[in-house]
Amino acid sequence: MWNFVKERWDLILYNALQHANLVFQAVLVATIVAILLAVVVNKFRMLESVANTLSAIGLTVPSFALVGLLLPVTKIGATTAFICVAFYATLPILRNAVVGFSQVDATLLESAKGMGMTELGILMRVRLPLAWPVIHAGVRTSVQMSMGIAAIAAYVLGPGLGGYIFTGLTQAGNENAVRYALVGTVGIVFVALIADLLMLLLGRLTISKGIRA
Amino acid sequence: MTEPTPAVLDEPIPEGHEPSGKRGARVITREMVTMLTVPPILVAAVFGGFVWWRQTAELDVVEANQLRWSLLINSRFHEVFPSWNPMDWHAPFPSWNPATWYDGPLLQGLIWEHVLLTVVSAVIVVAIAVPLGVMLTRGGLKVLAPIVVGIANAGQAAPSVGLIVLLFLWLDGGFWTAIIALSLYGILPVLRNTIVGIQGVDPTLVEAGRGIGMTGWMTLFKVELPLSVPVIMAGVRTSLVLIAGTASLACFIDAGGLGEILQTGISLFKFSLMVTGAVLIALLALLIEWLGRVLELLTRPKGI
Repeated sequence: MWNFVKERWDLILYNALQHANLVFQAVLVATIVAILLAVVVNKFRMLESVANTLSAIGLTVPSFALVGLLLPVTKIGATTAFICVAFYATLPILRNAVVGFSQVDATLLESAKGMGMTELGILMRVRLPLAWPVIHAGVRTSVQMSMGIAAIAAYVLGPGLGGYIFTGLTQAGNENAVRYALVGTVGIVFVALIADLLMLLLGRLTISKGIRA
Repeated sequence: MTEPTPAVLDEPIPEGHEPSGKRGARVITREMVTMLTVPPILVAAVFGGFVWWRQTAELDVVEANQLRWSLLINSRFHEVFPSWNPMDWHAPFPSWNPATWYDGPLLQGLIWEHVLLTVVSAVIVVAIAVPLGVMLTRGGLKVLAPIVVGIANAGQAAPSVGLIVLLFLWLDGGFWTAIIALSLYGILPVLRNTIVGIQGVDPTLVEAGRGIGMTGWMTLFKVELPLSVPVIMAGVRTSLVLIAGTASLACFIDAGGLGEILQTGISLFKFSLMVTGAVLIALLALLIEWLGRVLELLTRPKGI
């Protein structure tokens, strides 16, 4: 096992970075989309239950099924993987962002308005910082979830460590099969752990000092 | 953070936090109502669309073969269990695999297999995780509870495909390997919620129970478990959704399930099969999630 990893170390590291990169990009896009959606939802309160229902339904749809639905449109490759991961990453963030925004004290918004802040200014400097701890928790969940979904997306040749798992599957019987599958699975768990630590650090750095628990 | 002041004055008060009318009646929130009504309607509509497409589209040989549908399904139960005699347990059963107890069109067989995979794993999960969770909240095992909850939280990141493939390489494929993989994957949410639910029970209530002369077992069954049922059932629903979704990967290890249609579609690059497989997997998952919600509602003790 040790030699197996050592011989392929460069490639494994490259794939691990690809995996992290896919998740990072997808979650980044998902965060932006989810926050924008949450701003709209927050403006029209009746959309709130629509957003919650949609995100619950979306999270129920298995990722393998979404891959199948996307394939006719986006073909085999990284695009499908990216859209699939980004779709699932959006849902927990959206849900948390809606909750986070609705928890911001209305009197604070009123005083911000009274101070002459613009709508955008209020969003960027009052609502977003106050809702950020909740949104950040959603992003953290998303990152963890996306790691596994990126592995499934490797079935349609998405980038990352999931490819090793499927190599192990197709080489069943070969002595390297288990090693491939192990490298893929354990590698993803490692990447997920590191990503979670980085997310914690990000939280420390970005959550405003005044509201830190 | 404080409660939001409603922006619109005539906004209905969220029903969940108000005792609704009669004392002892189950409380039903608006979100629960939407989640109980919307998915079945959606599933029915999309499935209707699928049937309409299936009846009107011109299918080629492969598609017709994969999507054959017949109202006459034979059970092979009597064939598999020739003359079942309780006194003769060593009768040579052709197969212990329930997926072979059926004879009929491929598609219906795969649906049956998918449902079986999900239900059998879910039952195993509940049978193992709830007693284990209870054990981890009592006596000397209590110290292990935070570790288990931590592992359960971290386990989310373990890729389901990896687990399935590793078990396949270890135990070979088939129905029961898939069941083991699915149960292992689904056990974490139920275990975590059982521990959290029981730990969340107000300790003064347990003490009151002991005070009126209840034994440890009685407080467990009459106080702690009923009070933590909502939390446990939420875990069961989460785990049902996880299992139903992961069952779509069972096709990789010769355990069938609806993933097979999707897999065939991907390897032949036939859009019709891909979309059919994907849509049916999604519909089944939604239906199972809905069943989980119904179960959640039905098992909730009155008054909580």
